[in-house]
Amino acid sequence: MIEILAIPGVILLIGAALLSFFSEKLRPALFLIFPLLAAAVIILRPEGYSVTGSLLHYDLVLMQTDSLSNLFGIVFALGAFVAGVYAFHMKELGQQICALGYAGGALGVVYAGDLLTLIIFWEIMAVASTWLIWAQRTPETDAAGMRYLIYHILGGGLLFAGILWHSVVAGSIAVETIPMEYTPANILMLLGVAINAAVIPLHTWLSDAYPKATLTGTIFMSIFTTKTAVYVLIRMFAGWELLVFFGAAMAIYGIYYAVICKDMREILSYHIISQVGYMVAAIGVGSELAVNGAAAHAYNNILYKSLMFMAVSAVMYSTGTSKMFHLGGLYKKMPWVLGLYVVGGLSISGIPLFAGFVSKGMVIDAAGYGGYETIMLVLLVASVGTWLSVGLKLPYFTWFDKQDYEGELKPVPLNMYIAMGILAFACIFYGIFPNALYTFLPFETDYQPYTVYHLVEITQIALLTFVGFWLLRKKLAPELTTVLDLDWFYRKAAPATRLVFVQKVDTFYGRVEDGIQASARYLSGKFQNPMRWLNPFTDEENEASSYSPAMEVVMSFILLCFLIFAIIYFL
Amino acid sequence: MKKIHWIILGILFVITLVLEFTVLAGYDSHWWNAIPAFYAIFGFVMCYALVYSAKFIAKKIVNRDINYYD
Repeated sequence: MIEILAIPGVILLIGAALLSFFSEKLRPALFLIFPLLAAAVIILRPEGYSVTGSLLHYDLVLMQTDSLSNLFGIVFALGAFVAGVYAFHMKELGQQICALGYAGGALGVVYAGDLLTLIIFWEIMAVASTWLIWAQRTPETDAAGMRYLIYHILGGGLLFAGILWHSVVAGSIAVETIPMEYTPANILMLLGVAINAAVIPLHTWLSDAYPKATLTGTIFMSIFTTKTAVYVLIRMFAGWELLVFFGAAMAIYGIYYAVICKDMREILSYHIISQVGYMVAAIGVGSELAVNGAAAHAYNNILYKSLMFMAVSAVMYSTGTSKMFHLGGLYKKMPWVLGLYVVGGLSISGIPLFAGFVSKGMVIDAAGYGGYETIMLVLLVASVGTWLSVGLKLPYFTWFDKQDYEGELKPVPLNMYIAMGILAFACIFYGIFPNALYTFLPFETDYQPYTVYHLVEITQIALLTFVGFWLLRKKLAPELTTVLDLDWFYRKAAPATRLVFVQKVDTFYGRVEDGIQASARYLSGKFQNPMRWLNPFTDEENEASSYSPAMEVVMSFILLCFLIFAIIYFL
Repeated sequence: MKKIHWIILGILFVITLVLEFTVLAGYDSHWWNAIPAFYAIFGFVMCYALVYSAKFIAKKIVNRDINYYD
């Protein structure tokens, strides 16, 4: 029992349950203790440690550790801790509970050794994260939260259906690599996971909801949902070639929207899709270098993506807007936030000495040397777009440009700076000492990122992309627009969708129901008194009360036979 | 951007070119390694292509009024 309580995911869930018993002042500090406890458990448990249990006739593996789960476990615990520091000033109980529960769900998935445990934590994640959108309490975010929840219920449902089917067909519920066979069970599971990984065209929940979550809620969201899906993809679907192409498409799709969008949080949200695309593509390639690259990129991505979201949220906290149209010229007023953002921006763009340089290099090399040269070039285009959109465009129009922001600035709390500082340090640390990360990777590696070739490659791309941006920057100037995506089909086209999928279906069921009722009426009328057609030679109404004794005996005998047969059958 | 910034970037670029034609002269793992300064051309061309095509998509397909969904 005590072992179950010491499962990292469960520790955070217990924390979420306990938070409400403490005062407003104690809660933020208490919030930080649970991720640290979880991290301590992760470090103390040896690889191969497992906790088992049973449910009905299923043997559950509630926790199982190896290097891959530890890699994600540590970065999730670290992410929850740093996001907790960032949200230290935020006193709202509901958000604190949901954020910790959300992190607990993610950690639970990472350590789940069987698919039933996995789906339970998976659903906890979906529900808890929805509250981080609803906590904004505006009609717009209420609707967005509902869309998000419905999408995730669909995803969870597909995954669960796949798991049940798989358990019957394969006779196993272990979380393990699945051979590349497009059976219904596998397709259902892959679809369920693909929704959480924001694989296009199933990505719209992300770009719709993330920019609308609370300031601190977005940080948690950027860390957990997509990365747990990446973890499950690595675990179960490594080497599925289909993923290479979907991943590359995601990388480009996300970039296009990151270039088009003019809202800081929208840009970063779309950019998540692009970054997860790198990981998905690498998982599809499936070689040791590729899987290492996907895992390392997920790890690093959590560090710099949440750093960038934090910096952008700090600007929003201070100015009250995320629209770049209203911003500009903030570099004198918020130099530290700019500096911290730039560390994230340089990391994500794969500039040498920063974390992204190592992991992005691994992914791109894995594609190039794994027989996917075209995919490698596509990923390089996405690199150009990354540097262009989140490395240059976003900071330029927020902190520089001619326009000087004249609105009032609310001072950014110290805890936000501390959180960003921790992540910025980590980004630089893992950039300079990639070996510190290699020890966690699923396969042993001595990958050398700092080769002359890599340095020349990235420096040339970065320099000339910068020149291109500088010449074309007027074309990217912010404006106030709504950018349409595939969610248009269920948002704007809702009446048509409702007509086809709700009203038409309703009418169909209504007709069928009417038909069944009519036939039942007809049959019950006919069989009300069988004597009418058993004895067609009389016009008399054959009331049961007027049966002759002989007929009553026959009828009773028939009934008795029915009863005996029924009893024999059911016994 | 001041002049000095451009000069620094220029020097960096020249260094990469020198490295490419000396240390990496015999390097050949992808077909594009045969093209001189491939990555520089690639970065510049792709940057232009991305900006113009994104601008086109935005204008023709995806951009709407800010209150479109309200």
